[in-house]
Amino acid sequence: MVRIQRSNAADIKWSILDTGVGERGTIVCVHGNPTWGFLWKGFLETLSPEWRVIAVDQTGMGWSERSTSRTLETRVAELVAFCEQHTSGPLVLAAHDWGGPVAIGAASSLDVEAVILGNTGVGLPARTPMPPLISTARRFVDLTCRRTSAFVSGTAAMTKKQHREALRAPYRTADRRKAVADFVADIPLSEKDVSWNALQKSADNLANLDVPLLLVWGGRDLVFHDRFLADLLQRAPHADVHRFPDAAHLVPLDEPMATVASVWLDDVLGSRAARADSAESFAPADAFVAITNGLIARSEDETAAFTDRAGALSWKSLAQDATDTARMLVHAGLKVGDRVAMLVPPSSDLLAAAFGVWLAGGVLIVADSGLGARGLRTVLRGANPTWVFGTSKTLAAAKSLGWTPGARMVCTTRFPHAVSLRTHRSLTASKLPELRPEFEAAIVHTSGSTGPAKPVRYRHGALAAQRDVIVDSFTMWSERGFLTSFAPFILLGPALGVPCVLPDIDVTKPSELDFDRFAQVIESSQVDVAWLSPASARRIVDTAAGRTVQLRLVMLAGAPISTQLASSIASITGADVRSPWGMTEAMPLTDGVGATAPVADGTNTGTPLAGAQVVVLSLDESHPQPVANGQWGELALHAPWMFDGYDQQWGIEHRSELVVNGRRFHRSGDLGLIDASGNVHQLGRVQHALFLASQTVPSVHVEDPISAELGRQVAAVGIGPVGTQAIAVVIQAEGKLRLADTKSAARVRQCSAFVIAAVLEGELPVDIRHQSKVKREVLAVSAAEFLAGR
Amino acid sequence: MKVLVTGGSSLLGRTVANLLVARGDDVTCFQRSASGSLAADVLGDIRDRAAVGAAADGADAVVHLAAFVAPKAPWNDMVAINVDGTRNALAAATGGRFIYISSPSVAFHDEASVGVTALAADYSGSDGYARSKALAENVVRSESSVPTVILRPHLVWGPGDTQLIGRIIDRARAGKLVLPDGGRALVDTTYLDDAASGIVAGLDHCIAGDEATTKPLVITGGEPRPLRDLVASILDAAGLDRAPRSIPAPIAGLLGSVMDRVWPGSEPPLTHFAARQLSVAHWFDQRETRRVLEWEPTIGLDEGFARLKTSFGQM
Repeated sequence: MVRIQRSNAADIKWSILDTGVGERGTIVCVHGNPTWGFLWKGFLETLSPEWRVIAVDQTGMGWSERSTSRTLETRVAELVAFCEQHTSGPLVLAAHDWGGPVAIGAASSLDVEAVILGNTGVGLPARTPMPPLISTARRFVDLTCRRTSAFVSGTAAMTKKQHREALRAPYRTADRRKAVADFVADIPLSEKDVSWNALQKSADNLANLDVPLLLVWGGRDLVFHDRFLADLLQRAPHADVHRFPDAAHLVPLDEPMATVASVWLDDVLGSRAARADSAESFAPADAFVAITNGLIARSEDETAAFTDRAGALSWKSLAQDATDTARMLVHAGLKVGDRVAMLVPPSSDLLAAAFGVWLAGGVLIVADSGLGARGLRTVLRGANPTWVFGTSKTLAAAKSLGWTPGARMVCTTRFPHAVSLRTHRSLTASKLPELRPEFEAAIVHTSGSTGPAKPVRYRHGALAAQRDVIVDSFTMWSERGFLTSFAPFILLGPALGVPCVLPDIDVTKPSELDFDRFAQVIESSQVDVAWLSPASARRIVDTAAGRTVQLRLVMLAGAPISTQLASSIASITGADVRSPWGMTEAMPLTDGVGATAPVADGTNTGTPLAGAQVVVLSLDESHPQPVANGQWGELALHAPWMFDGYDQQWGIEHRSELVVNGRRFHRSGDLGLIDASGNVHQLGRVQHALFLASQTVPSVHVEDPISAELGRQVAAVGIGPVGTQAIAVVIQAEGKLRLADTKSAARVRQCSAFVIAAVLEGELPVDIRHQSKVKREVLAVSAAEFLAGR
Repeated sequence: MKVLVTGGSSLLGRTVANLLVARGDDVTCFQRSASGSLAADVLGDIRDRAAVGAAADGADAVVHLAAFVAPKAPWNDMVAINVDGTRNALAAATGGRFIYISSPSVAFHDEASVGVTALAADYSGSDGYARSKALAENVVRSESSVPTVILRPHLVWGPGDTQLIGRIIDRARAGKLVLPDGGRALVDTTYLDDAASGIVAGLDHCIAGDEATTKPLVITGGEPRPLRDLVASILDAAGLDRAPRSIPAPIAGLLGSVMDRVWPGSEPPLTHFAARQLSVAHWFDQRETRRVLEWEPTIGLDEGFARLKTSFGQM
């Protein structure tokens, strides 16, 4: 208990949880309603002893003194007085829920270094109703908050079982819950309410806050939902955001918020100067040619721009449709930077919609159906689009499953209740914005094969640079087109000004592209280039049966390609076969030359393209250092066409970013090396390395000799704790995971230079999107369980 | 160095004694019957404190291997030999070094051990051997007044082994060899000579202040393999062309529990403890052991199996 003195009011006693001295300063944590200091358990445990962490119980709350009811203004004044009287040195404020307005209100009267907020708000966002939980509680405030424990228990029920008892403990009786009810009653709904001005002041404070601000957000909060996040970001655009998509309201208790806060504080209060300027890599604005230009440049061209199962669409029609869409959007109020979710299957409609959104200055949210319904919901809600394009089917799903709450819907198949594009043909010409390189262009999502899908943010400058590097490095001719089995790649066609053909396959099943379909596309259209996923390439090879087609260039991308597969494709097509290195965050990065030549180490992806830089880093999580050529490690890259960052994923972005000589490098998570000729070799993923007691080994180093000896696909995984792992080799076979027969086991052990603990056989798990990346991290878990006898 | 080895008639005891003799130590073996080692024998019972003390007279070190190993035995005997016997050996270690040979089973908790170090010796389950060894280890830790090294060699095997190898072969010959879940559990073992050299390394590190005296260390070969593969190699070495049968692990556990209760003799074909031990992984993080003891196994599995095969060929 500490006493807080106030000049014109009686002293008040607060209960606090205090870790005691910390070298870096003091973090004062302010809970909301109806929680108490226990909420900050993670902060107290994680940030001490570097920081002194104090979790206060506000007046009348937790274990603090019960008193008369408090207004927001009084609460702010008490927090200021507490900090002045009981802390010294650098001060950081952390707050959650209705503690947010209190802390932000206090921040302007205190000398704070940084502010960290969990789910909170400083007022209702525009066009947002009061969350039903709050309006109900407020309407029946005495009943729900004081006379019964409904509000307290309801809040406690949001977190894990083991924390509930502690959250409820200070609020056992109606008397002890008085402040809970008062707090709810004090929430200002209109100008007539007593705390309206104080809340307004907090909102103004937030807008004027000139210290680093971190928002750690639970994406499944029913009270302070994502529109509150958008509102906070509008008021404080400089905030860093880390979003836990699946977390509910009590994010400080439920998620490692303290860990993110710890890394963030180190970053913003320590070495922020070392961060790179994200706009540094863009071409000067006057040399910038927007991604939409390739389409507009051919707007009088009657030849086919895009062909799929529905037929061909001319450049002229596509340009017209896209421009109409853009005008309609601008007319309907779309602003530059507004986010537009694309729930349109790969088709000419998608192209018209996507280029329309770009022409209007909107940001495309691209999420493919491979993520599944739950994954889609997570990524779409995270991106918080204000518009959504879809078919009647996808829009119905979006509506009923709550994917895009509050977003305006545009139906590409004339859904009765939505705005239809085609009816706006006669729209008077709305003025379209001039695109600039620093404008956000798209949020695309990683495949999610390793944990949740990550939102990857691109700016227009990077997309334009990507187009240019493809044009410069892989000659694409505007008369002859390309075919692709990678659905998102169809966007490249209009961007490059090159015709594009999407074969008649289910786009989530690239392995449906067999030789017959492949040959049919090549014969019936003018394409001489193919962008293929490894699964398509494999299927084409498997079904070719000695037949051939004629292509100039085949690009294989999406996963490391074996030289055998590349050679087979080369002999079937007679093409120059390339397998450049790339990823959702940046692609392509290398020229892909050498795909068909056998190499000693991993997959040779060729040399970096002009403008791209690749370095190899030691596998040291805290201090990765560049290593010499020939040595393997984690590949990191920089390119003008790389992504801008992970959207609202500060922690993930920070971990993947490294600044070398003022340039932002992305740690790819790929293992690899650069050979003496400058070729970048890929050796699998960092999490696929085997961390043995004697050394760390890329899984492919173990796999390749065994696979060559057996003539079968194998995967090697590490079992047990990092640093003392045992190797399990799994031979591809149908059926459940089991021990391989003793003869095969002996053969594997014999041919390997490593100590092989176990030889298993079974189905190797592969990712959905590419159907070719072996998910060794998944395999490692099942193999470990199997061999543990669990 | 003058060394007393207790339990010299066991395969591991004899091998340790011989290794010490070979490098020039003055070795005495203490056990009830002739050790068959190259060292001098003093015969006696570990339960006889005076006899142990007399045998250790003038010794610089006591390496205590004597133990009563049985799947099922009267608890009083277990305590008398494994706990009180250890107290006797400890009391005799007046020369300044005591090496206690424990067992990883003292930390067995019915769960898989996957790359772990030596965990707390707190086994208190149904297996008398593991329980008594855990008690004894704690006695050593709390009562020793001389530098003490506690080693837990894991599943020691080699030519001449009647315990592990002998039982497997007997059962295979009788067509009664069954493995829980087909023997998928990943198990580390220790080849006899490697275990012996590890114990000798422990003896050399048994000096006040040495890290080896501060915590128990598990000793293994560091080459875990599925139990099925190990058994197959043993049967192959013995020239037996028989594949063990598989039973589901839960059934093995159940059978073991039943036999714990109803089996009249001291050697039931299966105990619950044994069934669980055979059903789950047992392998260990050896980095600390190897660093602290400055020791590494030199024989390993494949060479070990080759030697086993040779020994069977000579029989």
